[in-house]
Amino acid sequence: MTADKTKRKDAEAKAAADTTPKPVSKLLILVAWLVPGLGHWLLGKRVRAGVFAAIILAAFITGVLLKGELAVPQQNSPLSWFFAFGCLGNGVLYFLRLIWINGLDGLQSSLFPYGLHGGGDPVSAGFFYGKTFLYTAGLMNLLVVLDVHDIARGDKS
Amino acid sequence: MDHFILLVWHALLVAVFFAFLWRSDARGRKALFLKTFLIMVVGAFVLGWLMFPFP
Repeated sequence: MTADKTKRKDAEAKAAADTTPKPVSKLLILVAWLVPGLGHWLLGKRVRAGVFAAIILAAFITGVLLKGELAVPQQNSPLSWFFAFGCLGNGVLYFLRLIWINGLDGLQSSLFPYGLHGGGDPVSAGFFYGKTFLYTAGLMNLLVVLDVHDIARGDKS
Repeated sequence: MDHFILLVWHALLVAVFFAFLWRSDARGRKALFLKTFLIMVVGAFVLGWLMFPFP
């Protein structure tokens, strides 16, 4: 009888341990955001990593080729932060593009984070399409980061 | 620049993305890809025609 109770308690403890979320490394989340696909790669999900990296990169490059504009924060425009957050989802691609457009001097300006130019050509026929691709790439990478978090936590395989 | 090709390209990227994000088996991925891709492309086409009579 006592052995049964002990076994039951052990089983309950094991079940509770299985459902307890694992701690998630902040570094993993940071890396997953900065480099699209790297979070899944580090978790051993190689196929998904490759697919996500290829899709986000393809969407970002399409947006740049269509002369779309990256959202940057603007003074007296709180909503611009919302759009910038979406684009910031692109991680290192966002910063590289901003450096490409503004140069390192632009990032070191006294107005930072304001006063940056998001690139693009508003006269171009592809301007709004390009913006859509750039925003989509950023938002997709944010979803990828959430997916990495769920996998690392043990909520998803 | 063909707007329809851009629409198809965007739908393709998004459909593949969600198929891999939300499904883990090949069959499920294929089904979700086809569903989302067709909804986006055919839906945009139908909406475009429905908007045609309006100024």
